[in-house]
Amino acid sequence: MSVSRALLAALIVGLVFAGGAAAAPAEDRLLPVDQYTSDKARTLATTYREALRELNAGIYHCLPWVELQKHSIGFYKPKHLTSDDRYLSLRIYIEQDPSTEFARLRVEDRASAMFSRYVGPLLRRMTKDPAVIGDPALDGFTVILEWMKQAPTAPGERPIHETIAVFIEKPVARDYLAGVMPITEVAAKARVLGFDGETALGPLRLAVWEDTFVSTYKVANYVLEPGVTCG
Amino acid sequence: MRSDRLRLLLVGSVLVAVAGCATGEEWATWKSHPTHFASGEHMFFSVRNKEGAAPRVTRKDIALARDEGWWGKPITVSQEQILER
Repeated sequence: MSVSRALLAALIVGLVFAGGAAAAPAEDRLLPVDQYTSDKARTLATTYREALRELNAGIYHCLPWVELQKHSIGFYKPKHLTSDDRYLSLRIYIEQDPSTEFARLRVEDRASAMFSRYVGPLLRRMTKDPAVIGDPALDGFTVILEWMKQAPTAPGERPIHETIAVFIEKPVARDYLAGVMPITEVAAKARVLGFDGETALGPLRLAVWEDTFVSTYKVANYVLEPGVTCG
Repeated sequence: MRSDRLRLLLVGSVLVAVAGCATGEEWATWKSHPTHFASGEHMFFSVRNKEGAAPRVTRKDIALARDEGWWGKPITVSQEQILER
């Protein structure tokens, strides 16, 4: 093969790989099995590896305005619990441009809006495999929602994120998923912790509502990858 | 031979460059949505999208826009403040 043809081939291969790399979700969104600190967690992570991979892929393709960071999915232990209770945990960053209207709300109201939009639909995604919630070793669910509170206003400033961590015990999640408990009651029974940047705000009481945003919102002109479906 | 190689590299560079061009119409569509990205300066999805045709946005386009459009490292709570492994 001539040098010119070799160069062209390398260029084409490079373009193909550059294009393909971002078309699939990154595997590192899941906490690796060997990084858990208990056998209970390692067993859950091993048993439901495929379910977590599907959760990762589903969010990646079907909620493209949402971002998962490294180790955002796993069977973590909520820090406020003393025993080795394992919750299926999911942390998402919700990408939206800063809004003055949204920023003017009280933190509880912003948190209520985000809870209303995302917690129910994410719980459904997290339990798509019914074996997960049916496993006696699983104790509950954690949904962590993060969004930009304040964009940088001057060079060198960093954006500040606001975060809520929602802890839901398994019986509450089961009743919600079975349709016998409304999301308002889930919010009342859940433990919700708020964070302003790195600063803990403590428990928040939220006033939530049924919200269809996730099932109705579509990114303009967005086309799914071939073979991907979003139910 | 040497000029052939140079021409090939030039063509390759142009290919890479145009892989990142978006029309103003595409960005107007993108930015009119309530959930969109930080900057309108990114150029990424015009190889497939021709003038006059409906723009298409793939998951790959979004990932690229996100990589290019980040606001900087945020101040946010660490996972370790909430969860244990």
